[in-house]
Amino acid sequence: MTYNITEENNISTIYLNGEIDMDVGDKAKAEIMPLVESASGEIHINLKDVQYMDSSGISVLIESHQKAEELGKKVVLKEISKSVLKVIMMAKLEQILNIE
Amino acid sequence: MSFSQHADFEIKSSSLKKVRNFCRDIFQKNQELENEQEKLILVIAEAAQNIIKHAYENKDSSDKMRLQISYVDNELQIDLYDKGKLVIEENVKPRDLDDVKPGGLGTFFIKQVMDEVIFSKEKNDDWVNHLILKKKIITQ
Repeated sequence: MTYNITEENNISTIYLNGEIDMDVGDKAKAEIMPLVESASGEIHINLKDVQYMDSSGISVLIESHQKAEELGKKVVLKEISKSVLKVIMMAKLEQILNIE
Repeated sequence: MSFSQHADFEIKSSSLKKVRNFCRDIFQKNQELENEQEKLILVIAEAAQNIIKHAYENKDSSDKMRLQISYVDNELQIDLYDKGKLVIEENVKPRDLDDVKPGGLGTFFIKQVMDEVIFSKEKNDDWVNHLILKKKIITQ
C-alpha cells in the first residue's frame, strides 16, 4: 500500500493506493489517525486506487470516523471503487460512514 | 466442470496477498465462479486472517496453513487447515452490526456469503483446526 497526502482549501486528503488488508492496515491507520487529529478542517480518504479492502481496512475507516466525530470533525470517503463499496455495504456501513 | 487445488501458506500477514492471488488465479479460470469471485476471495482471505489472528495470536510461525478449493457439481468447498491453537466453535461469533466498532466483521462476512460454515472435529493428519466453507453456485 502507498499513500499521498494533500492539503487544499482547508481539506486534508489522503490518497490510498493498493490493497488494504491486515498486513498494511496498521500502516494505513498510522497515517490516517494523526491526520484526523491534526487536521483543522474536513479529512477526505480517497479510495479510488484501492482495489481491495477487507475487515481490517473497514476497521480503520470506522476508527477514523469515530475519532473524527469525537473531535467534532468529519471524515469523508471519496471515489470509492465498486469492490470496496460492496464490502462497506456488506457491513451495512453505507448509512453510517460519510460517503461521497 | 470440477476441480480441486490446494496450496500451503506461511503463517504471517504478508501471506494474505498470496492467498488472494491464489484464489484469483483459480476463479478467473473458471467462468462459473468468476461472478462470485470478489465475495469468495474476501471470505477466504478473512478465514485465513482469522487463522493468523486467533489460532496463532498474531505471531508469525514457521508452520503453514493449507487452503484447498474444490468445485464439484456446482458446489464450492473451501477447506482451511492449520496447526495453531484449537478453535472453540462457541467462541467464534460474528459482531452485531448495530454495534458499530472496529473488529468482528470477518466472521460476519464469512457467514453472510457462505451457505455452510463447519468447524470439523475429524482428525486430519497433524492439523489442529479444519474449517470447511461451502457454497452452492447458481449458474445460468
